Amino acid sequence: MTGIYVILGVVALLVVIGIVQYNKLVRLNVAVDEGFAQIEVQLQRRGDLIPNLVETVKGYASHEKETFEKVVQARAQATAAQGVAAVAEADGMLTQALRGLLAVAEAYPDLKASANFLSLQEELSGTENKVGFARQYYNDTVRALNESIVSIPGKFFAGPAKVVERDFYVVDDPGKRAVPNVSFN
Amino acid sequence: MGSLTAFVIYAVALYLGYTSVGIIPVAVGISLISVWGSFYNSDKIVLTMTGAKVIDHDTAPQLFNLVHEITIASGMPMPKVAIVEDDAPNAFATGRDPEHAVIAFTTGILRVMDREQLQGVAAHELAHVANRDTLVSAVAATTAGAIALMSDFLLRISLFGGGRRDSNGSNPFVLIAALVAAILAPIAAVLLKAAISRKRESLADATAVAFTRNPTGLRRALETLAADSTVVHQKSNAVAHLWIESPLDSKMTSRLFATHPAIEERIANLRALEQTGPLNESA
Repeated sequence: MTGIYVILGVVALLVVIGIVQYNKLVRLNVAVDEGFAQIEVQLQRRGDLIPNLVETVKGYASHEKETFEKVVQARAQATAAQGVAAVAEADGMLTQALRGLLAVAEAYPDLKASANFLSLQEELSGTENKVGFARQYYNDTVRALNESIVSIPGKFFAGPAKVVERDFYVVDDPGKRAVPNVSFN
Repeated sequence: MGSLTAFVIYAVALYLGYTSVGIIPVAVGISLISVWGSFYNSDKIVLTMTGAKVIDHDTAPQLFNLVHEITIASGMPMPKVAIVEDDAPNAFATGRDPEHAVIAFTTGILRVMDREQLQGVAAHELAHVANRDTLVSAVAATTAGAIALMSDFLLRISLFGGGRRDSNGSNPFVLIAALVAAILAPIAAVLLKAAISRKRESLADATAVAFTRNPTGLRRALETLAADSTVVHQKSNAVAHLWIESPLDSKMTSRLFATHPAIEERIANLRALEQTGPLNESA
């Protein structure tokens, strides 16, 4: 009689562990999706700011055609991108192009002092930070999910929960990779 | 606040002649209800007490953006953002849970700090919300109140006799012990509250760095606060523990009773974090 109780107890324990693990994996998976959605929301917002910014800069520096074209092109690519890797790549390119645009603005004191430009610059740097933080949050959630999937006991429940390892959001930003110039003068 | 209510009720009950032990649970019960009430409405109460005005994106775009950035970094819901008209640079967070949080900044802090510093401050305040520090301080206050109540109860028992009254008076040793307890217990309770609050400040600094991966901003913000000598006008003890820098004059109170750790200590800790290398190289 006690044998049956022991077996029932063990089975019940296993079922509870299974439910907890399953729910944990599903929760982590949803968090990853949310994290990526947040990145896309912020990238979208940055994209929406661009036409306004380009128009404002054009008003003061109409002959910087090449810079404008680069930004517009990068923006079009970013809008079309699908999937983590492609979005990340387009994001990096647009960041570069925008940096070029803001560098152009540096040369025009009137532009730099205009209220419109200042508020756009704040919105842009704010959004830039939000993209960065959204990326950081996304990568944290991916790390948590991937860790649970490859470690025991999560390993056994990843299949039934239909959860797979996800890609990290890696930005290929040449500006960030570059070795800083050191001079010994 | 809750313990105070309990004391008043207890005192009134004693005055009316209810010296029986039965009144204690009633007083404790009512005090718990009042603690719960002030905890549940803490955001509104604190906003009224400090005179903070809730703002939106259009009133102060940069501040609103800063706070939004941290909510994205931490995956938390967006709190209400408020501004307090006060020249002293300071900030605080309140609210019983992340869904009902309020983060307030003084006009002074917005004037003296740059974007990076304010981001550090915003991260520190949101860290308080994330760590449920309002819950912790409510529990600390209740515990402190309970200790005070117990010591008072003990004193009364020994003074007026707990049953063996008609034998040969109260035992002088019990009386002395009770007196000592009655004097020391409230002090111990205040110390406990201060110690918990100080631990939470240091923890909030660490959590803030986990959000921003940038100890420099908060360190520079604390340095600015340390160099600043102006103090928030409202020196209310009740909300002292909320601010990022203690609004009470630190020279007047000893280290043991301080609700905040020495700002130099916090700066040193952040500096140590900066030296451990780039934290933002995440995968």
